[in-house]
Amino acid sequence: MKNFEFYEPTTLAEASQLFAQEHTQLLAGGTDIVIEMKAYTESPQSVVSLQKIPGLSGITCDADNSITIGAMTNVREVELSQHIQEHHTALAEGASEIGSVQIRNLATVGGNIAHASPAADTVAGLLVADAQVQIVGSDGERSVPINELFTGPGQTVLKPGEIITQFTLPSPASGSHYIKHKIREVMDLAFIGVASSINLEDDTITDAKIGLAAVAPTPIRATEAEELLKGKSITPELIGQAGEAAAAATSPISDLRCSAEHRKEMVDVLTQRTLQYALERARS
Amino acid sequence: MSEYTVVGQKLPRVDAVEKVTGAAQYGADVHPAGMLYGKIVRSKHAHANIISIDTSEAEKLPGVRAIITQDDVPSGRRVFATDKVLYLGEPLAAVAATDPDIAAEAAELINIEYEVLPVVQDVMEAIKPSAPHIQGDETKDGPKRRDISAKIKELAADQDNDHAAEIQKLEAELNNYDDEIYHNISAESHTEAGDVEKGFAESDIVVEDTYVIPRVHQTYMEPHVSVASADSSGKITVWASTQGPFAIRSGIAGTLGIPLTQINVIGTTMGGGFGGRFGVIITHVPAVLLSQKAGRPVRVQMTREEEFLDGRPAPGCVIKLKTGATKDGQILARQALAFWDSGSVSGASIGSTIRVRGVYKIPNIKIDAYGVHTNKSGTAAYRAPGAPQAIFAGEAQLDDIAEQIGMDPVKFRLMNMREEGDEVPAGGSEPKVGYKETLEAVADAAGWWDREADDNQGWGVAVGDWTNGCGPGGVYVSVHEDGSARIFHGSMDITGTDTAITQIIAEILTVPYDSVTIRRGDTDSAPYSTGSGGSVVTFTMGNTAKLAAEDAHKRILELAAERLNTNEDNLELKDGAIHVITADPPKSISLGELAAYSLSTTGGPIVGKGSFARQSSTPALAAQIAKVEVDPETGRTRILKLVASQDVGFAINPMAVEGQIEGGTVQGYAWAMMEEMQYNDNGNVNPGFVDYRVPTSADLPTVESVIVEVPAPNGPYGAKGVGEPPITPTLATMSNAVKDAIGVRISELPIKPEKVVDALKNNGHGA
Repeated sequence: MKNFEFYEPTTLAEASQLFAQEHTQLLAGGTDIVIEMKAYTESPQSVVSLQKIPGLSGITCDADNSITIGAMTNVREVELSQHIQEHHTALAEGASEIGSVQIRNLATVGGNIAHASPAADTVAGLLVADAQVQIVGSDGERSVPINELFTGPGQTVLKPGEIITQFTLPSPASGSHYIKHKIREVMDLAFIGVASSINLEDDTITDAKIGLAAVAPTPIRATEAEELLKGKSITPELIGQAGEAAAAATSPISDLRCSAEHRKEMVDVLTQRTLQYALERARS
Repeated sequence: MSEYTVVGQKLPRVDAVEKVTGAAQYGADVHPAGMLYGKIVRSKHAHANIISIDTSEAEKLPGVRAIITQDDVPSGRRVFATDKVLYLGEPLAAVAATDPDIAAEAAELINIEYEVLPVVQDVMEAIKPSAPHIQGDETKDGPKRRDISAKIKELAADQDNDHAAEIQKLEAELNNYDDEIYHNISAESHTEAGDVEKGFAESDIVVEDTYVIPRVHQTYMEPHVSVASADSSGKITVWASTQGPFAIRSGIAGTLGIPLTQINVIGTTMGGGFGGRFGVIITHVPAVLLSQKAGRPVRVQMTREEEFLDGRPAPGCVIKLKTGATKDGQILARQALAFWDSGSVSGASIGSTIRVRGVYKIPNIKIDAYGVHTNKSGTAAYRAPGAPQAIFAGEAQLDDIAEQIGMDPVKFRLMNMREEGDEVPAGGSEPKVGYKETLEAVADAAGWWDREADDNQGWGVAVGDWTNGCGPGGVYVSVHEDGSARIFHGSMDITGTDTAITQIIAEILTVPYDSVTIRRGDTDSAPYSTGSGGSVVTFTMGNTAKLAAEDAHKRILELAAERLNTNEDNLELKDGAIHVITADPPKSISLGELAAYSLSTTGGPIVGKGSFARQSSTPALAAQIAKVEVDPETGRTRILKLVASQDVGFAINPMAVEGQIEGGTVQGYAWAMMEEMQYNDNGNVNPGFVDYRVPTSADLPTVESVIVEVPAPNGPYGAKGVGEPPITPTLATMSNAVKDAIGVRISELPIKPEKVVDALKNNGHGA
């Protein structure tokens, strides 16, 4: 990799100021940026590490089961957290799909999201958790719903100098599930990723969310499919309709991994499956 | 109970500690003082004319010490492209600099002007007249045109009769086969025995299909690397990660026009080869040229991306195969037309197409095989070169016939398998072989005869045959005054061959395994050794080691007879000592005592020499059974059971043999299910492990290995080469299992989820 200036600020204000400079990259876990720098696809003049700033990592759970996840929390911690496993199963499952254990011990959830890959494994789980993204910049703090964060592949609404600090997840759904379509059992990239969450009262769906990865330029929610489900009792026909509606919401590409048509078909199949699993979890 | 004490035992590898502790020296660990870092400048297009190469900006960059192009190759042999590039990543120049980043920056500063040309990547497109011509304009005829032309030639040669009308008719008929005028052909190979047309006519069932096998990379863990140092006298030392240091020495000598004695190649511990680590010009020659020009040692080390762009992977191919059989299960005829993707060079294992004949009695066969140029890098050997591709087609089609006849796939194979003395189609007669024993062994071990399958589960079986190669080798063995022994040789260890050699010497000298050590010399010091590929090493070097140990054994008895005042016939070497058989009370001298004694007398050091040329081996069979479960909605396949038997002749180290069976089988599984180098008009589009998938241990169950031993008469202790056979049947094993699970044949590999979903839809099975 090319030479660069390396900064290790200890406050967010300092980090934000440094990061606002041109040709500057943030270092969180380093599992994306270091590889890109070694391959010369990124050659920043400055790298600003977030590792010395206190308070950016950790998972907390309030009395109402709303949860905050620090942006620098490593993915392995998200995967293994009892709170996440219990209340946001889809997110824990997504985290468990990233790379290897060694990678997950380094990679951070903030980095996974800020990198803005449409195929990120934590994103579908965060979408169905309705996560709010807390951001700090030179203009102070702001909060963006996760489904409004992304603007394109590798692109977000973050302005120069803005840094993701944490994710806040409101009171959870009663059941959720994530499935990644892939070839290899572990250490594969998502051909597509699907997460569903369901809130159930007396076997009626009071709320449903479907998050889709790698089927559009950004991760998306399948809102029409969600609306179909709300207020209804679950039947196989309804789940089938939701699968079709979710597939219709996508605009996938054909690439070397698979065709757009296959991606659409798998959104249908896996939406149905994740709903089924989410339902079983909600009932238990 | 074996008559042997060291061979045939599961002993730990001689290099286990150095590998595990990291002490082993790989190519990238070599760092002579003053070493520079080399970087190869590569084509950014898959097919283009080179207008100009301008190195002036790169030369100005501080830290750059040498830049070379084809102008720096004194012999004129092609090392770098000059007028035209044929594939993405083809070398155009190389730089050496004081730091790898400077070398990379300098490589970017070399300004190359291209005139981009149309690209062809698909072999079936490349043979058409409309395809861009990659090298030359010559065409070759397909099978029908060849037959007609042969008839015309035959008639024209008949001076006694007038065949003008017939010839005219045949010439007109030729025009009907314009689509058989193939372009971009790099090589061809034709084999025929019997009369296939007659065989098909007599068949009750004829099955035809087209099999598409992708190009795959050997994916050895260590990328290509060499460190070269040219001293002021012109002597060149090359630390090379290679399977064949002596081949590299002659390759460098030939390419650069330097005498052999001016080159010393030091083979570094190899991080895998699988046939892909014999190339001379990939890194070795550029490193030498850079070192000569810079006057300092230079390392040229490929990145993983460069491995995919400019390694020498296994060729993909398209095989059109047709088989005829009677309804009671007798195979009568088989015909293949194969197009092998040889990329920018010729060859590409096309001769291996003959392996579609398998191990069966087939009276009529016809094989027409072509190598086809495309805009890809050249290919090279990969574990049983060409066999997995051809055997995939042959064994997949065999299952489809068995299904149509209504016969069990194992019984169908057993019924048609050749035995000793049977005629090999277009290939003489069969020596003693263990085909049936090996297939029966896997069927029994896998529980084939009472197999069960739930919905969407299936069982597949396939067999593959391979015969190891052989080459020359030399070994010295010295017996020391403490009774230990040391082996000295020049062959590269490839997954345990040094261990096998050590076991053989310990066996013959009757000394403990751990008192024998083995050292590999460089090409300046060690006797010549054939390259470590083609499953030759244990066969060749095992025989050589045996000769050396027997030579030492002879000398030991001579010296002991003198020392013990008896004649050699009364002596026996046993448990590391020489015993007088006839003596009462017992009388003996230990090997160490004898070695010490002979140092201080007229005897001299005890040295045994083995020099071996060539012997033929006999065929080995690998037979495998897999059980899979397919998710018909997502198309994902899980393998539940994988059992592999192999006739290894004699397992000198059964643990190492099992390792080979497991490794080869897993590589075959990977080729069947996920590995595939993908190309478009820009070149290779998956040059890395993100999108070129190799399996992890999570993808497979434990491979259950079954060792069968039908000895090879010329092998050491009957051993056959074990490295290559296990990859040969697995592609078909997997395809057959998937077919059994879903009822649809996937004849285009790899069996990716999307193909399964589409195949089910197209056959009316889909959701």
